[in-house]
Amino acid sequence: MSVKVQQIDACRWRIPREGAMRTDGLVFADRAMMAVLQKEKALEQVRNVATLPGIVGPSIAMPDIHWGYGFPIGGVAAFDAEQGVVSPGGVGYDINCGVRLLRTELTVGEVRPWIEKLADELFRNVPSGIGSHRRDLKLSVAEERKVLTKGARWAVENGFGRAEDLEHIEEKGTLAGADPEVISDRALERGRNQLGTLGSGNHFLEVDLVEEIGDQQAANVLGLFPGQVTVTIHTGSRGLGYQVCDDHLRMMLHAASKYGIELPDRQLCCAPLNSPEGKQYLAAMACAANFAFANRQLITAWVRESFERVLGKSSDELRISVIYDVCHNIAKMETHQFEGQTRRLCVHRKGATRAFPPGHADTPELYRSVGQPVLIPGDMGRYSYVLVGTQGAFEETFGSTCHGAGRVLSRHAAKKLARGRNIEAELAARGIIIRASSRATLAEEISESYKDVLDVVNVVEQAGIGKIVARLRPLAVIKG
Amino acid sequence: MNSFRLLEHTADMGIAAEGETLAALFQQAALGLRQIITACTDIQPSQEILVEVQGQDREELLVNWLSELLFLLESRQFLPAAFEIDSVTDYQLRARVRGETLDADRHYLEREIKAVTYHQIKVEETASGWRAQVFVDL
Repeated sequence: MSVKVQQIDACRWRIPREGAMRTDGLVFADRAMMAVLQKEKALEQVRNVATLPGIVGPSIAMPDIHWGYGFPIGGVAAFDAEQGVVSPGGVGYDINCGVRLLRTELTVGEVRPWIEKLADELFRNVPSGIGSHRRDLKLSVAEERKVLTKGARWAVENGFGRAEDLEHIEEKGTLAGADPEVISDRALERGRNQLGTLGSGNHFLEVDLVEEIGDQQAANVLGLFPGQVTVTIHTGSRGLGYQVCDDHLRMMLHAASKYGIELPDRQLCCAPLNSPEGKQYLAAMACAANFAFANRQLITAWVRESFERVLGKSSDELRISVIYDVCHNIAKMETHQFEGQTRRLCVHRKGATRAFPPGHADTPELYRSVGQPVLIPGDMGRYSYVLVGTQGAFEETFGSTCHGAGRVLSRHAAKKLARGRNIEAELAARGIIIRASSRATLAEEISESYKDVLDVVNVVEQAGIGKIVARLRPLAVIKG
Repeated sequence: MNSFRLLEHTADMGIAAEGETLAALFQQAALGLRQIITACTDIQPSQEILVEVQGQDREELLVNWLSELLFLLESRQFLPAAFEIDSVTDYQLRARVRGETLDADRHYLEREIKAVTYHQIKVEETASGWRAQVFVDL
């Protein structure tokens, strides 16, 4: 079924309200992206989201949109706190999947001679791939519950990282409202061995170099300079989050019929925000979000340890610090201005990043003059971007922007394209070292699987919902 | 005919299964799930686990059945070799799953499945038996 779209300008398209839709769809894309999108099902999903009760403003899609489950990946939807709904499918299975960027004082010249050793050490020190975990980290159920309540703060209190790290994490690393009592035994069991693990698929750990600065002032404020070595961590809430989503989808399927909510797709199942089911999901989601914050905090500690060991320098010499940590699968209660009114909204970001503007109270003090840092990973063979949030995003997209490159090839198609090629050698020729636990992952994650992330961030910048600060290039990539 | 094939999805993968009976259909779907996780053929059926799952309808039952297998793999490191469906109705399934504990030296896992989804899920009766479609999140 084709979806009717109207071009608004060079980077905006409207899906006009029709049928069961309660509002328009708004898609950020250039002409080439839209030509591809019209052959896919993601636009139908934008339209489906627009049918949900209590939606405020349009059903939004970012330029990295692709076909997801229920909600599209790259989707943003805000719901009224009183009249609206919350949907686990609007967050996704990997609750608080997100990205953390670390800065070092090192230059590429200082790290290059050690890069092979560093890649080996990181690959050894940070568990990745299926079933792998640190044997020296054993959690009791009581301790795991503390992780769910405290998030990254639990990690810092237990010696993983420094108190100042917390200042530079979305929600300071602890999402409020978490209630471990609503977490199933099964979710706790799946999580117990997976805290401090990277996972597999598109999750990664990267040593990068700052290749180009786009906004000197913002780069100065963020502490980025050309030739600098940085580290990117992309992972989420692992099995615990997947199970929380699964448990609540089941609950929401029943809730949706109980509250008479018509669903164009089962995966969009939801419940009113002020219903017991809605509140329970938010309390459980916060637990999973906190697990993910703690996860990235533990990995940060092991990254620091790995750099210290390989380069033979102390933590004081290296000064590896957190630039920022963003969620890209989350639903959050936020205050926004909409049509001249102050509204309390539940903003769902599924494959989308919060991008709050300069001056916002939730933007860390250090960054308040330039806006909240936004971290946009590309693919393992090209580059990633650092952006900052803008007033434009705050006004038009509930303070949200894109989250990555977005897949274009199915895994099967990627594997076919990779057949007979030595991906490791190809990356090495571009100065990128790779360590991966799975050959399948390596083939399925080739650059060609993804859109060029530059196209994505260009649309975002042109639309004024994000501002490019710097481009990063991978030196070493750890994959699950 | 009892069979399965894997389906394309931009970010993820799906399973299309066919079975002459509902039991055969659920067995084929499980084989499809294992195929996504591993191409490994050396899995000894040395342990047996009894699985019992419920659902509000056949679709939910299928999601719950496959989710149970993922749980056994992830939390108990149990890699399945064979699936015997003892009984299946629209709401309940009983099966014996044979397999062994994951051994990193012998077993190579290709992909981690995050979850079994309800996205475009179908369980349908056909002229020759049953057909199902289910997508997983990778």
